Amino acid sequence: MALDLSRWLPPVLLPPVLLLAAWEVLGRFDLVASGALPALSEILIRLWVDRADYPAHVTATLLASGAGFVIGNLLAVLAGLVFVMSPVAERLSRGVNIAIFALPPIAIAPILTLTLEGMTPRIVLAALGVYFVTMQATVTGLTQYDTRAADVVRAYGGGRGAVLRLVRLRGAVPAILSGFRVAAPNAVLGAILAEFGGGGRFGLGAYLLGSLGRGEPDRLWGIGLVATIIAGLSYAVFALISRRMLGASISLSLNPAAAPQVPMGAASPLLGLGAILMPFAVWWALLWAMQVPDMLGKTPWAVVDYLFLADTAPAARAKLLAALAETLPITLAGMAAGLAFAFALAVAGRLTPAFTRAFLPIALVTQTMPLVALTPLLVLLLGRGTAVTLWITISVTFFPAYVMIAQGIAQVPRAALELPRAYGATGWRELRLVTLPASLPWLFAAVKLTAPRALLGVMIAEWLATGRGLGNLLNQSRGYLDFGMIWTVAAVSVILSVALYLVAQGIERTVLRRMGMIRQN
Amino acid sequence: MTAPAGIVLSGLTKTFHGRGKSVTALRDVSLICPPGSFTALIGPSGCGKSTVLRASLGLEPLDAGKVEIGGQAPERATAAGITGVAFQDAGLLPWRSVTRNIALPLEVLGRDVGPAAGRIRDLIALVGLTGYGDALPGELSGGMRQRVAIARALVSEPRVLFLDEPFGALDQILRRQMNIELQRIWAETGVTTLLVTHGIDEAVFLADRVAVMQAEPGRIVDVVDIDLPRPRETALFSAPHFHELCDRIAGVLHGA
Ligand SMILES: Nc1ncnc2c1ncn2[C@@H]1O[C@H](COP(=O)(O)OP(=O)(O)OP(=O)(O)O)[C@@H](O)[C@H]1O
Ligand SMILES: [Mg+2]
Repeated sequence: MALDLSRWLPPVLLPPVLLLAAWEVLGRFDLVASGALPALSEILIRLWVDRADYPAHVTATLLASGAGFVIGNLLAVLAGLVFVMSPVAERLSRGVNIAIFALPPIAIAPILTLTLEGMTPRIVLAALGVYFVTMQATVTGLTQYDTRAADVVRAYGGGRGAVLRLVRLRGAVPAILSGFRVAAPNAVLGAILAEFGGGGRFGLGAYLLGSLGRGEPDRLWGIGLVATIIAGLSYAVFALISRRMLGASISLSLNPAAAPQVPMGAASPLLGLGAILMPFAVWWALLWAMQVPDMLGKTPWAVVDYLFLADTAPAARAKLLAALAETLPITLAGMAAGLAFAFALAVAGRLTPAFTRAFLPIALVTQTMPLVALTPLLVLLLGRGTAVTLWITISVTFFPAYVMIAQGIAQVPRAALELPRAYGATGWRELRLVTLPASLPWLFAAVKLTAPRALLGVMIAEWLATGRGLGNLLNQSRGYLDFGMIWTVAAVSVILSVALYLVAQGIERTVLRRMGMIRQN
Repeated sequence: MTAPAGIVLSGLTKTFHGRGKSVTALRDVSLICPPGSFTALIGPSGCGKSTVLRASLGLEPLDAGKVEIGGQAPERATAAGITGVAFQDAGLLPWRSVTRNIALPLEVLGRDVGPAAGRIRDLIALVGLTGYGDALPGELSGGMRQRVAIARALVSEPRVLFLDEPFGALDQILRRQMNIELQRIWAETGVTTLLVTHGIDEAVFLADRVAVMQAEPGRIVDVVDIDLPRPRETALFSAPHFHELCDRIAGVLHGA
């Protein structure tokens, strides 16, 4: 059967087509979880039946994620430029940057919808989803310029500005575009999350929320499909643009300024302290500037009070600790699994490019699927146990990790790749000698990237499916209007996420330094 | 072109502190290249030749010593557009065509690129790349990229020219051809030239004087005057006196 098909189809299309066929058969005969997986045709028919509902929801989601995407990216590129030019600014903002990067959107969605109005929470969450990815891509792109080309500019009296303008900016374009590419589905995810967590009538998230209780798998799948298509298209658009722009202008050989590293300079203890305090100052300042009433908006001090000083503090602490004990282990397990899967796949792709070409489209489709839309579907399929949490976590860590590592491996310069080959090295050996060491910085970047995502995946699963852990605590507190707990869970999950990130970073530093990949001074 | 400018290097000293190991790339390197002269710098790999060149352009902070180009500090000389340079690695911008790569120094110096179009075309022809003006560096061979770098070094009509193994990736025939071209340009423009090379024959063929370096610490151990008449032609490569000079330099190089 497969052999016959391959005569009609290009090999790239074969796996997806087989997959779709299997899906159709499984769905038609209600073979999976007694009908939880409808056939593709059933989903499409339901989409057609519901067609009048979609335009308003899709428009709302597109508007929010589009606005957030533009605003977030604009800020991100500007911030990246500032950080590259001024190490002090970078150092001071590091705490805020990491917090923005690490914060699980779901943890602050309730806060945003409580304190902001209309479309604003959605736009803010979408912008937050894109900011860090693009900011770091910008910094990386601007930092790993070709020093030899920069020397030429400097040899004609060009200063920092000229090097930036003539060498670094244009050289950063591919990195920035790849940032946009990864960020685009994030914007959609952020907007839908805010819609989901914040009420409002329109938006795919709101539609999903309204359809959850009805036990109509085909509609849930339809919404998930539309959300995925939007997110996937947003990714594809930027993938296409970067392919167009890159063309023959890929770098010629190894450039010595490589290694994706935020500049290390100016690391005085005072700046470090400033960096730690800054997120809290921003938190405080935003509450103050927006005149949020005390009852709704809790300052950092109010959270400390809630957790340690007030009469109810012991009870609150006990609830929080119990939730943490449920959330943390599965986060680590999911992260390790997602990362291992991404790494294995990226490596396999290096050895057998045909495999990547066949697998990547499927991976991309499943991975651009916005989590909130994915979760109810996975619940239908896997039930409400630990398995669903694990799978969601794996899927949410896998995508960014894979893109990052595969990109790292792809960036190994032609000359370096060909050298071991020239001495007859086989695939594995070449991998060990060149590909792995060269992609190691990217692997660690992926670890840092996935740590907070793993927490996000777990919390979403807990909120929507399993009714345990931090995610559930947040959802419950929302129901009880327990504002102290809402802010506490938000703060704790951000801090936890940052802690995971910092641990990953610590390991990265140690290993890279041992390997001599971090430049001295 | 205005009068050529000389290069004065006095007491250049530079130590690189690497991981667990320090390398004295330069110790007390002094060299005077009079205006209009052609000096070759030769020495074993890793002895510090490129470092001398980078320091001459003010690109390498020195532990001690002083550089003057046309009586100016290197930063001022380069910004004034007096110098031209081709590094060992071409360092082309991969997104710029050959033509636009060659124009880069003009842009950095804030000069108009438009009026130089004809000149750039001539330079492309000079380095034998006619028809490749719109090609991107990724589409060129290593030797072709090096030639782009040479054209780029000449585009600003420099009075002082620094060349770091510019012909390293070229075949012998092309190399000889480029040597002849370089000699012609040097004779026509009188540009003061400092050429780093691995080829003893190339150094002797082109230079008025050959400075020989040794490694660890990087230093100049001898300066050999080349008293061969000009213009020099390919026949010279088989002349006995030419070989005498080559042997003498090889002797210094190999510590005889
Ligand atoms: N940025 C740097 N950091 C550390 N060490 C350096 C650096 N640049 C050069 N060196 C060291 O200084 C010494 C001289 O280097 P340089 O590039 O000047 O040699 P070279 O004579 O040009 O060699 P080659 O003929 O191979 O080009 C070498 O030992 C090299 O390892
Ligand atoms: Mg050198």
